[in-house]
Amino acid sequence: MTEELKVAVDRKDNGAVLYTKGYINNVGGEEIAVRAYELMDAGVRTLLLNLRDTKIVNSIGISILIEIIEKMIDKGGKIAFCCLTPVIHKTFQIMGLANYATIFDNEENAMKELGL
Amino acid sequence: MTTTAERQMELTLPMVADIEIAAARAAGNLARELGMSSEKIDEMTHAIIEACINAREHSGCADNRIYLRFVGTSQGDGSRIDVWVTDHGRGFDPAEARSRRPAPGVSHKRGRGLQLIEAHMDEVSISTSSGGGTTIHMVKYEKKES
Repeated sequence: MTEELKVAVDRKDNGAVLYTKGYINNVGGEEIAVRAYELMDAGVRTLLLNLRDTKIVNSIGISILIEIIEKMIDKGGKIAFCCLTPVIHKTFQIMGLANYATIFDNEENAMKELGL
Repeated sequence: MTTTAERQMELTLPMVADIEIAAARAAGNLARELGMSSEKIDEMTHAIIEACINAREHSGCADNRIYLRFVGTSQGDGSRIDVWVTDHGRGFDPAEARSRRPAPGVSHKRGRGLQLIEAHMDEVSISTSSGGGTTIHMVKYEKKES
């Protein structure tokens, strides 16, 4: 069985929003990484990941998200997340991801704070 | 007199990509039948996913199977689900695995599976031996509001 992750990109003047739908596992994480690295190569330095349609993540997928965050920090940029389920929020905190990326309750607040 | 209802399910699953989702869905359906809240169910399913991934990635078992057993118990004061995830692999040393674990909240790319299981479940015990496989027994409780 496969649980394919879908990623949609919304380019903004000052960055981009990635919308994920589905399971963030190793394959899903790599799909997000491909899209994020394309945006970074194009000069995007502010990235918001909206996980409103993702209900399940695993530790391998999160490890890939941490790699993406590290690459963005190396480039002087920032990544934030919004619309996490409570269990995904808790998992991000345990995995240490919350130390390097801001987590917002909703997209409106995130866009305002990030200047998107 | 307290009424107790029990539901049981056993699954044997092949170690293929994303099979952990099938295990999580089965447990989630059972938990919903017991009236467990969605937040408790989400925590339990994430723990089951990590246990299945650990079995698939690290057990080195020859039969390529994960054996799962779920027992849901509903009583007057709430419900509980017991989950056993078993592999017939090489086993591991839980103390050694925990000693390699980074502190909670410290960014670290791998080796968080057991930590996540323990964070998401109310009770976790591990039976494992060298060459004798591993069983992780996890319990999730839901107390009714009084």
